[in-house]
Amino acid sequence: MTETAVHVDSVSKKFRLYHERNQSLKSAIMRRKISVHEDFWALRDITFDVPVGSTFGLIGSNGSGKSTLLKCLAKILYPEHGSISANGKVAALLEVGSGFHPELSGRENVFLNGSILGMSRKEIQRKFDDIVSFSGVEQFIDQPVKNYSSGMYVRLGFSVAINVDPDILVVDEVLAVGDAEFQQKCFQKFEDFKAAGKTVILVSHSMGTVKQMCDHAAWINKGNLELVGPADPVIAAYEATYPHQG
Amino acid sequence: MQYLRDLASARELLANLTLRDIRGQYKRTILGRLWSLVSPLSSMLVYSFVFYFLLRATPDPGDPSGLHIFAVWLLCGLLPWSFFSGALSASMNSIVGGASLITKVYFPRVVLPISSVLTMGYNWLFEMGVLVIVLCAVGGWGVILWLPLVAVFMVVLAAFATGVGLILAIANVYFRDTQHLVSILLQIWMYLTPIIYPPSLVQVQSDRIGGLFGTNVTVMNIYESNPMFHFVSVFRNLMYDQRWPDPADVLACIAWALVALVGGFLMFTRKEKRLAEIL
Repeated sequence: MTETAVHVDSVSKKFRLYHERNQSLKSAIMRRKISVHEDFWALRDITFDVPVGSTFGLIGSNGSGKSTLLKCLAKILYPEHGSISANGKVAALLEVGSGFHPELSGRENVFLNGSILGMSRKEIQRKFDDIVSFSGVEQFIDQPVKNYSSGMYVRLGFSVAINVDPDILVVDEVLAVGDAEFQQKCFQKFEDFKAAGKTVILVSHSMGTVKQMCDHAAWINKGNLELVGPADPVIAAYEATYPHQG
Repeated sequence: MQYLRDLASARELLANLTLRDIRGQYKRTILGRLWSLVSPLSSMLVYSFVFYFLLRATPDPGDPSGLHIFAVWLLCGLLPWSFFSGALSASMNSIVGGASLITKVYFPRVVLPISSVLTMGYNWLFEMGVLVIVLCAVGGWGVILWLPLVAVFMVVLAAFATGVGLILAIANVYFRDTQHLVSILLQIWMYLTPIIYPPSLVQVQSDRIGGLFGTNVTVMNIYESNPMFHFVSVFRNLMYDQRWPDPADVLACIAWALVALVGGFLMFTRKEKRLAEIL
């Protein structure tokens, strides 16, 4: 029995579907209520374990709730029922370049973004050269990031995030950034991660990516957990429901 | 407890966010940081013209400092007020403005409103520095002795602003009316605080009217229930009069700051977890 990195215990997440949402005081008072809504369960009673050192894929069609689950893992959303316990430091990569200020230089933004992602100043200083060389924007690091091309912007953001060095990395489909060469570097970085015994949880639509990278997977369908286990059978089962794309 | 530990570990984040705002604020301006002086200076000119030159409001000379300059007297109250009102607006908008961060990254959300107050505080520090130089230039050297106490009360006022700001930040997430309502309320609030006229004018009217509706409550009693009344009095005592502030004012300031801070934190922590969903 391997150790678990993340234990997801009967997690349910409810959203409110608003039929009318009174965001102004006037309508709230006139109607004597803030809103009319019905509940929508985006996740229902999800339970699984992510083993330490695995690369774990979350798959499912659009609107199946996998991003909601990812946000719960990242502590951005809080589940109504159930709990998620992580064994180690979690870093989430749902967006690259969070909090970048366009007028500030790349250097200043690395420090800002790093501290938003939970790195200390010393840590960033230590890793600064790695971050910059990984991103490949050395030449422009003292320019304001508003002058960056969108590729450079994303690469710099990704480099900071990948250097947070967590025990568990939670990634949304941000792999599709940069050119082929940069993507290759990213895959390499994930491999290094894995070799270092770290856990990666990944959400992706691209079965190719999941097949290539993941050793475990969970298939979520309309908020319910359909299947969890080693990647190949789960992916096969998922693909079997879409015979045309097979 | 866990919450406080999280907050302690977010110190650097707080510092970095504040630095981002301070550095970003006056980028690509020729005057740079001097802009933060322009707004209080222009209000000073307008208020001096209307209230001193036209309406002849004459505050008592500073006792014991002997200063008798309306513009300086005005600034001693105006600068704390403009910090307070700026800090309230900024922290109120910080959560709605930081929506893109909140929905994508986990960090203690309370960092956002606090860093807006700190950014405003930095500008205020700069303005107060200039005011101290002006005070010295017009003969109020004594202010230097009172600077440590001024600093203490700057912190107390910042705490009060943070507490109120936290409540407004949450309210603004639920009802965007808050920001419009607050900008009007702040304007009314300013005129209900003795900033551009001396409180003795209110006292005169209060004595003339006497107890309201057959009770012992006078206009002055109601007027003094305004927390900013006490803050402005303390800053004027310290900087313009250059003497110990009234203990009643000091107690009122500290009590208001504590109540606001505790209330603000309680409300904020209760709603914090759902912010990402509601935004």
